[in-house]
Amino acid sequence: MSFNPLEQRGIPLDRQLRSWRELNVQPIDPDRCDPYTRCRIIAMNGIEVEAILFSHQLARNTVDPEVKRQLARTRYIEAQQQKVVNWLLPGVSSVLETTIAYEQVAVDLTAWVARMEPDPYLKQAYQFGVLEDFDHLYRYANLYEMIEHRKAESIVDDLTEVMPGRPTKYHHRDPYDNVRDPYDKSGTNPLSKLHALTIMAAEQQTMNFYMNTGPTYMEPIARQLYQEIGLIEEEHVTHYESLVDPGETWWEQLVNHEYNECYLYYSFMEQESDPKVKAIWELHLNMELEHLHTACDMMRRHDGREPQEVLAPELPNVLTFEPNKQYLRELLDTQMDLTTLGAGYVREAHERFEKMQEQIHGGEQPPSERVMVQHDEMFGREYRVQTEGEHPDPAMREK
Amino acid sequence: MPETHTPQAGDDRAADNDVVALLMRQHGDIRNLFDEVEQSRGEERRDAFRRLVRLLAVHETAEEEVVHPFARRALPGGEQVVEDRLAEERAAKETLAALDELDTDDPKFMLQLMKLRKDVQEHARAEERYEFTHIRRSTDADGLATLAKAVKAAEAMAPTRPHPGVESAKANVALGPVAALVDRTKDAVRKAMDKD
Repeated sequence: MSFNPLEQRGIPLDRQLRSWRELNVQPIDPDRCDPYTRCRIIAMNGIEVEAILFSHQLARNTVDPEVKRQLARTRYIEAQQQKVVNWLLPGVSSVLETTIAYEQVAVDLTAWVARMEPDPYLKQAYQFGVLEDFDHLYRYANLYEMIEHRKAESIVDDLTEVMPGRPTKYHHRDPYDNVRDPYDKSGTNPLSKLHALTIMAAEQQTMNFYMNTGPTYMEPIARQLYQEIGLIEEEHVTHYESLVDPGETWWEQLVNHEYNECYLYYSFMEQESDPKVKAIWELHLNMELEHLHTACDMMRRHDGREPQEVLAPELPNVLTFEPNKQYLRELLDTQMDLTTLGAGYVREAHERFEKMQEQIHGGEQPPSERVMVQHDEMFGREYRVQTEGEHPDPAMREK
Repeated sequence: MPETHTPQAGDDRAADNDVVALLMRQHGDIRNLFDEVEQSRGEERRDAFRRLVRLLAVHETAEEEVVHPFARRALPGGEQVVEDRLAEERAAKETLAALDELDTDDPKFMLQLMKLRKDVQEHARAEERYEFTHIRRSTDADGLATLAKAVKAAEAMAPTRPHPGVESAKANVALGPVAALVDRTKDAVRKAMDKD
C-alpha cells in the first residue's frame, strides 16, 4: 500500500494542543504487554527527543524572530508528543528493566535496519554496531538477575536472545576511529536517510538515558557498568551521526526529520497490537503530517527548492519490530572480531586501538567483565537466553 | 541450555550483609513466584501458590518487624512513609485473604491473583524508592548487616521453599498455618535483634 505524506493533510496546528487530562495517559502493564509495544514506545520517544533537540539547535542558529516563533509553536506540540509517548512507560518498572528494554530496541531495530539498508557501506555500519548493543543486553541482563533476582526473559520474552556479542571491553576505541564517511545526499536512496536518522536518534536517547539514570544506582557494580556502557553510547552516537551528509541544509534536515516521524508513526500504527497505543500512533501521525507541511513551506521559502527533490515519492516499507535471531547469529559467526580503523573496519587490533585499550582499562578488568565475575560468584553460572541453540562462536560458549 | 533457575534470596551465594539488597532480591523472588502460579495448573499451581503465600507472609512480617520500625525511628518524615506502606500492606493482605478462600482452580482465582500481583508490585517499588533509599543513606555498613541478619533469621525459622517429605500436599493451605508462620517469624526476628 502506498502512502505519500506530502499528499495528506493532518490536524491543523492550532488544534493540536492537549490539556492535562489528555496528556495523562494510561501506562502499559510492564509484565503483560507485548515487548515490541514497549520497544515502539522507547524508539518513538528517542525520535521525539531528537525532534525537540534538533529544533532547539535550529532556533539557536536562526536570526529571524518570526521563524523562531514558528519553530517554537511546532516544537511545543512535539514536546507534548514526547510526554505522551514516554509516559506510556509504567512507574513500577525499575531503571534496569527499562534499560534492558532499551537494549532490546537497539538490537532489534538496528538489526532490522541493517537487513533493509540498500547501501553496503551503511549496512556495514549497522551490522558493526548491533553486535555491541547485543553484548550490552547480555551484561545488563546479568546485572538485573544479581540486583532484582529477575530474568531478562521476563522482559524480552524470548523474542530476542541474550548471549555474548562483541565483548564490551573491546568497544572502547580511539575516538578518531569512530567517525564514519557520510552518505551522499544527492545520490543516496531516500530510505538510507531515514535509517540513519532513526538509529542516530535511538542511540542518542540511550546515551542520554544512561548518563542520567546511571548514578541513581547505589550498587557499585551497577554505577560502574552504566558509566562504561554510557561511554560506548557516546561512541555510537558519533558513529551514526557521521553517516548523515553534513551538506544537507538546516531546512532540508528539518524536512527529513518531520518526514521520518511520519514514516515511523505510520509504521508503528500499522503493526501495533495494543489498541490504546495504536490510537496514539494514529493521532500523532495526523499531527506530524502538518508539521511536515510547515517544514516543507520553510524549505521552499529559505532554500528556494522543492522538498520532493530530497524525499522519497512514497513511504518505504514499514519499519518493523520482529525477531532477528538468525540474522544476528550470522553476524555473531562472522563479525565478532571487527574493529574500526579510520572510516573503515579491520580484523586486527591496530596501534591506536591498543593504546586506547591500555589507557582506559589501566591494567584492570572493566565493569563489563567484573559484572560477569560477580554474577558467577553469586549463582555459579551466567545468565543467557539461547532459544536457537549454542552460541555460533565456539569461543563464546558457556564454560 | 544450562539450568537458569534463579535461587531465592538466602540460597544464592550473596554475602547478604546489606538488608536493602536482600529485600530487593526477595521482591524479585516474589514476582517469580507470581509467574510460577500463573503459568502452572492443578496441583502444581496449588503448590506454587502455597509457597507464594508463605514467602509473602515471611517477607512482609520481616519488613514490619525490622525495616518499618527502623524507618519510623531513624528517618525524618519516616512516620508518614511507613504509614503509607502499611496501608498498602493491609490492602494486599485483604486481597490475599480473599484469594486464600478460593480454590486455585476457581475461575475467579486468576483475576484476584492478578490484582494482588499489581498491588504487591506497586508496594515493593514504593518501598524501594521511598524507604530503602533512606535506610541506606542513614545506616552504616554494620547497621545494614544487623538488619540483614534479622531478616535472614526470619527466613531460616520459616522456610518458604519445599522440603521434600516434610510437607504433605494439603497441609498449610488454610490461613491457620500462615498466621502461625507470622508468629514464628516475629519471634525469630525479635530474638535476632535482641542478640545485637
